[in-house]
Amino acid sequence: MESGEGLQSRRDFLRKLGLGAGFLIAGGQFGFTWFFDEKEGKLKAIVVDFSKCTGCRTCETVCAGFHAPRAAGSSVAAPVNPYQARIRVHHFNPDADVPQVCAHCADAPCIEACPVDPDPVTGRKALYRDPVTGSPVNDTDACIGCRSCARACKELRTGTIRPNPVTRMPEGICDLCGGEPRCVQVCPFGALQLADAGDAGHLAGLSPEKIAQVLMETYYSPQ
Amino acid sequence: MAETMPGYYGRLLDVNLSTGTIVKTTLDPQWLQDYIGGRGLGAKILYERLKNPGTEAFSPENILLFMPGPFSGLPLPSSSRTCVVTKSPRTSPKSGSYHGASTISYSNIGGFFGPELRFAGYDGLAITGRSDKPVYLYIKDETVEIRDASEYWGLGTDALETRLIADLGSDGFRSCYIGPAAEKMVPLASVLNTAARAAGRGGTGAVMGSKRLKAICVSGSGIPNVADPVKFNELLETVRSSFAQDTPSRRWWREGGTTNALEESSAGGTMAVKNYSEGSFGEVSRIGTAAARKEIWKRDFACYCCFLACKKSGMAKGAYGGVVHDGPEYETGSMLGSNLLIADLAGLNRCIAVADDLGLDIISAGNIIGFLMEAYDKKLIDRDFLDGIDLTWGNVEAVLAMLRKMGANEGVGIRANQGVRSLAREIGQGSEAFAIHVKGHELAGWNVHKAVDWFGISYSTANRGACHMNGGAPGPQNQSALRDSLGICSFVDEWYVNDSAFEKILTAITGREWSGASLELAGERIYNLEKMFNYREGFRREDDCLPERFFSEAGKQGPAAGIKVDRARFEQMLDDYYIARGWDLKTSKPGPEKLAALGITDF
Repeated sequence: MESGEGLQSRRDFLRKLGLGAGFLIAGGQFGFTWFFDEKEGKLKAIVVDFSKCTGCRTCETVCAGFHAPRAAGSSVAAPVNPYQARIRVHHFNPDADVPQVCAHCADAPCIEACPVDPDPVTGRKALYRDPVTGSPVNDTDACIGCRSCARACKELRTGTIRPNPVTRMPEGICDLCGGEPRCVQVCPFGALQLADAGDAGHLAGLSPEKIAQVLMETYYSPQ
Repeated sequence: MAETMPGYYGRLLDVNLSTGTIVKTTLDPQWLQDYIGGRGLGAKILYERLKNPGTEAFSPENILLFMPGPFSGLPLPSSSRTCVVTKSPRTSPKSGSYHGASTISYSNIGGFFGPELRFAGYDGLAITGRSDKPVYLYIKDETVEIRDASEYWGLGTDALETRLIADLGSDGFRSCYIGPAAEKMVPLASVLNTAARAAGRGGTGAVMGSKRLKAICVSGSGIPNVADPVKFNELLETVRSSFAQDTPSRRWWREGGTTNALEESSAGGTMAVKNYSEGSFGEVSRIGTAAARKEIWKRDFACYCCFLACKKSGMAKGAYGGVVHDGPEYETGSMLGSNLLIADLAGLNRCIAVADDLGLDIISAGNIIGFLMEAYDKKLIDRDFLDGIDLTWGNVEAVLAMLRKMGANEGVGIRANQGVRSLAREIGQGSEAFAIHVKGHELAGWNVHKAVDWFGISYSTANRGACHMNGGAPGPQNQSALRDSLGICSFVDEWYVNDSAFEKILTAITGREWSGASLELAGERIYNLEKMFNYREGFRREDDCLPERFFSEAGKQGPAAGIKVDRARFEQMLDDYYIARGWDLKTSKPGPEKLAALGITDF
């Protein structure tokens, strides 16, 4: 993944998406980092204001509901289990609640880890970036269920990608509801925003456990 | 049997810890229709299964029920509640022929446990028997295992919560558990989740401890089927947009929650102060919302799908700092604060944290310590009686020492743990007059002198013994029973009105037509069935009483100064109450017409 070949294929991939001209590729944590050009728009993500989150899990229920399959002829889904959501609130003791959601990492270690050869026409691996929202998307026809994306996400970032226990294909990747995220609209406490992916600051892309540690140190000090 | 009603699984998870038997019992749809779920369905199961009066609360035969309702787990705001229902280890009638006679007990808990039980595929969980060794119950959908809990036994609830998160993950399992007090069958022990939220009242944790069940850990991947998803979603949107309005009421809950009631209740003269001898507390602002926000609270926390987030957590500064906990809220702040004349906020927060860690019902614990403080102050007991603890008013260190004695069930703690009624019998010398209980169950943080119309009836007639959540008249009592049966929080009625009233939502969930009237009738049926359980055990009108203090003494401070409850007036109020209820004036038994109207079969 550190090879120039990977770099090359990324550049090709972006060019073929018609976005390449505006991108700058720079050295970064994994050999390169991408930046969207200002004019082209930046990567967006659900950014959590941890000072406002109360751990109520309303975001899970609206996310799961929005993405749930509809019965034939119905625009409404029956209630679904909140664990089907792509956002998941982790609870810790002492009290700290951490919504875990795809960070839309600029360098996308999940896509980088995908071993499927890019499609010669589209330039896409099985896991690729949606040209509109920038969200990682899995091509279920191309995916081989190797779980490399989930492993990369867990080891390096939030750990939000979960392989389906049967198909082993990645699940739990936030698609920003196509651009108007429901969780942001419904969060009772205004703790979720659609913002530039980098706005999560020093907590961007960290695992829930690491974020909880920081929060506990911030909230609960005897001084 | 007919097909299960939508909105339910029609299954009760039955676990016998003596035999290790695990059965998924089909629930009669008629029971669901008549008793809704939660507290009501729990009462029905207990009524049908514990037909012999006098079953000892700590016997293996007693049933410990964890009962979410048909709202629990659905994404409705504040649909987080679970009712823990069992036969009480706290109460007994004044007379009667059964040694182990006691009332039904129910205690309500928020958090995330009830919804998870429903996700796992059950409308309730019934624990019977007694394990030989400490165990916990592991439930992951259809997989149900009784597991060894020797590594968890002895842990305080705070450490246990951290352990369970480490062992089972931070995002999958939700657990209810007991602390060290319940392990020792301390009668006033509570059931907790998230190391702070408690089904505190009525000794539910003690019954769990008697079964040697340390914890119940649940994870579920399903959700109940809903009869009319289109209508349900429409109602859900209506409720959510109603909650989304920034109203004074919502601000009250978010800013302080029940902590706000500390100063309000003191101003109104309705607070438990100095073992209920006063209704106002001069130093209340030191433990109120503004002080807690400034000194302790860092974060607000919500139960499942709640828009109010009335749990406030933080860490106090100074000598009592170093522990993260929630509160004070109204009950913990009054019972361990004003009732003991404690105005040291950090000290109060530490007392709450210690009591929750031990797993004690803070209401009863504060009431009992208040009683002992008064007996000590009046020199009816000496320091030896208290194992050397100098239990003076306002003494935080002495309260912490007492709580630890109670949690460990040793020395004076053993006597204290039997409750104020038992202590007064032992101490005598007129101390019965200030033993503040009904049926053996201690009163909560609301004083009676100034509020007999509401709290006098609420406490005296409550089916679990003294209860501040019971309601002061038949209508509110039925409504309260109903809420506890639906699985919805007691604090959100005002958001569930008109187009999104409970009956409309329950209709969409179950596909059965519910009206406001039929729902109130269900609440009344539930309340009367509990009453019948108690009547069968031997409770009569003489048990629906109030502590002597309220009739014979008046406070000196605040709006309640000089006010005593008139005994004749109270008896008249009880008469009116029984008439409104359709109950016999002498015995308090629900009349045959009432039972027939509610479809309850006399025993």
